[in-house]
Amino acid sequence: MSAGCSLLWTGAEEDDRVFDLHDWEGAEPRWCPGCGDLSVLTAMQRLAVAEQFVPETTVFVSGIGCSSRFPHYMKAYGFHGIHGRALPVATGVKLSRPELTVFVAMGDGDCTSIGAAHWLHMIRYNIDVTALLMDNNIYGLTKKQSSPTTPQGFASNTAPRGSWLPALDPIQATLGVTNASFVAQTAEWVPAHLYATLRAAYHHKGFSFVRILQRCPQYTDSIYKEAVRKPSIVELLVHENGLTVPELDRLYTNQRRHDPRDLDEARRLAEASDVIRLGIFFQDESRPRYDLIRALPQRTVEEKIRLMNEELDRYAV
Amino acid sequence: MRKVIVGNHAVSWGVKLARAEVIAAYPITPQTQIVEELSEMCASGELKARFIKVESEHSAMAACVGASATGARAFTASSSQGLALMHEMLHWAGSGRLPIVMADVNRALGPGWNIWTDQTDSLAQRDTGWIQLYCETNQEVLDTTIMAFRLAEQVDLPVMVVLDAFFLSHTAEPVDIPDQELVDRFLPPRRARYKLDVDDPHSYGALVRPDDYMEMRWHLQDAMHDAVARFDGVETEWATLVGRSYGAVESYRTEDADIALVTSGTITSTARHVIDQHRENGEKIGLVKIKMFRPFPTDALRLALAGIDRVAVLDRNFSPGQGGIFAAELRSALYDLPAEDRPAIYGYVLGLGGRDVTPAVIDGIIDHVRMPGIPARADLWVGVKA
Repeated sequence: MSAGCSLLWTGAEEDDRVFDLHDWEGAEPRWCPGCGDLSVLTAMQRLAVAEQFVPETTVFVSGIGCSSRFPHYMKAYGFHGIHGRALPVATGVKLSRPELTVFVAMGDGDCTSIGAAHWLHMIRYNIDVTALLMDNNIYGLTKKQSSPTTPQGFASNTAPRGSWLPALDPIQATLGVTNASFVAQTAEWVPAHLYATLRAAYHHKGFSFVRILQRCPQYTDSIYKEAVRKPSIVELLVHENGLTVPELDRLYTNQRRHDPRDLDEARRLAEASDVIRLGIFFQDESRPRYDLIRALPQRTVEEKIRLMNEELDRYAV
Repeated sequence: MRKVIVGNHAVSWGVKLARAEVIAAYPITPQTQIVEELSEMCASGELKARFIKVESEHSAMAACVGASATGARAFTASSSQGLALMHEMLHWAGSGRLPIVMADVNRALGPGWNIWTDQTDSLAQRDTGWIQLYCETNQEVLDTTIMAFRLAEQVDLPVMVVLDAFFLSHTAEPVDIPDQELVDRFLPPRRARYKLDVDDPHSYGALVRPDDYMEMRWHLQDAMHDAVARFDGVETEWATLVGRSYGAVESYRTEDADIALVTSGTITSTARHVIDQHRENGEKIGLVKIKMFRPFPTDALRLALAGIDRVAVLDRNFSPGQGGIFAAELRSALYDLPAEDRPAIYGYVLGLGGRDVTPAVIDGIIDHVRMPGIPARADLWVGVKA
């Protein structure tokens, strides 16, 4: 069959394009100077080059908030969606076009507040999508109102006397949901760790949930100030089955061997403690995936042509 | 006390003076300042209300529904997408006959993300059983907020106080803030006719079969009819205390007019200025401002527009497939008039997504509407780029 009259798209043509960082630069970011979102964008663009993502088969879906500007800044397909609904939109994209690489950028408002119900169900569906929870512990875009992850006692414009309750811990919550398959935490101020975590999440088959601890220089600068200055209060979870970041070994000496296949231990480590834990808490690629269970059977081109001919033969005169 | 405050804070002051007891809210631009100020008032103890910081607008209205059902005076505020997300609970408040008051800061809906003013968000909620009152100035915002609680509790219906994004919400104007003692005289503590009460047990939300459902809706319609007259009474009482009233419908320089503009919200202020200039030139042109959109003040509008030949309705909103919403409603309200009394209605859709409506734009509309022989239409679009 000549290429010109092909009825069936048979996958990517021979592709000798090479994409560099400039190819991934979309609109100029309009985040505040020092915003953690910038660090995440840089890591993602680096990953796109390293893994040679193809712009037309890569999609970034977001909700509403500062972090949800993300799709504007990645030169790929983007969907700047509805507050809290990034995950169901991504579900629709991935189920109808399983060959696409789908990323979701959400803030703590999107994921843990207005869209929290979708978060829970996305974990259970375990669809092959990589979700970034860009968690700066505050509603930044609407100018400093408490979010569910705002630390207890932290004052905001909706809680002038400080947040009344302990902050919701997204890692604990995710690990508690049936069928979780990839749960990791990283920090925007440790770029090497951020990059390694995003890479691992991208390669994971199933729903990858990455919580990224972020500073908002305008409103929550103080929350991680100590952690930024003192690597000793950060504990890296390292394991050959999970993540190792050798270039951090000299600075981040506080390391714990944790096998991410151990869910019970992961849940123990997710409990509140004096240290901030970064790494893969849990990973299990054997968990059932809704996108595979419900996928149409994969067929070769020959099979598709044969089925089509059989169908056409039914109407033969 | 006279203070220079933005429209958002005029709402907050109104809610404080009305002694709201439960406030539930989720932030959204351009509403956020309303609830931030209330949160501050609650934290400082100036306002003895429970402030609930919920996880979405749907929850905000749900919390107001719950609070109001216990007999409390409940308030929330939202805009645009937030109001749309509340939709299901707006029906609940309306059909549940709960006198909740909310402020909606008119903002355009996405996609085509836009934070600027556009009335489509509130008008899209017209069938949810809420009274809707549109405001033109920050003083009107404050007065309307206080009157809204009074009206709501008289007819057991929720009331939406509507103000334009930025032109009111973020613009500071001098506002007379009445004394608490005076507001207390006007608005006594809520005495709920129906509420969740252990001593007199009733429940909300039971299954209602076809043989009763229609009666429930008739009662709602009856209360809406009642609200038209009640609003006049509430305004009269408020006027005796503070000397200000607005009217469900206001006529401005319509005496002997051949042509009238019909406006709502802040476009009205610009239009007043334009009308004054035309009147100076001796032109017979006036203005009718619609404050109350639900219940629709049909009788007042028929009176206000009697004897006018052509009416230009300025709609900063639209219903896709129809046209300007006020224009469509007005046509429907005037249709039953004898043909010789019925003005021709020209609907101008303009200013969507916060596009500026300048005096020049309104002058252009006046030039258009008085052209001889042009057919009346409900969807003449103003200033759309080719």
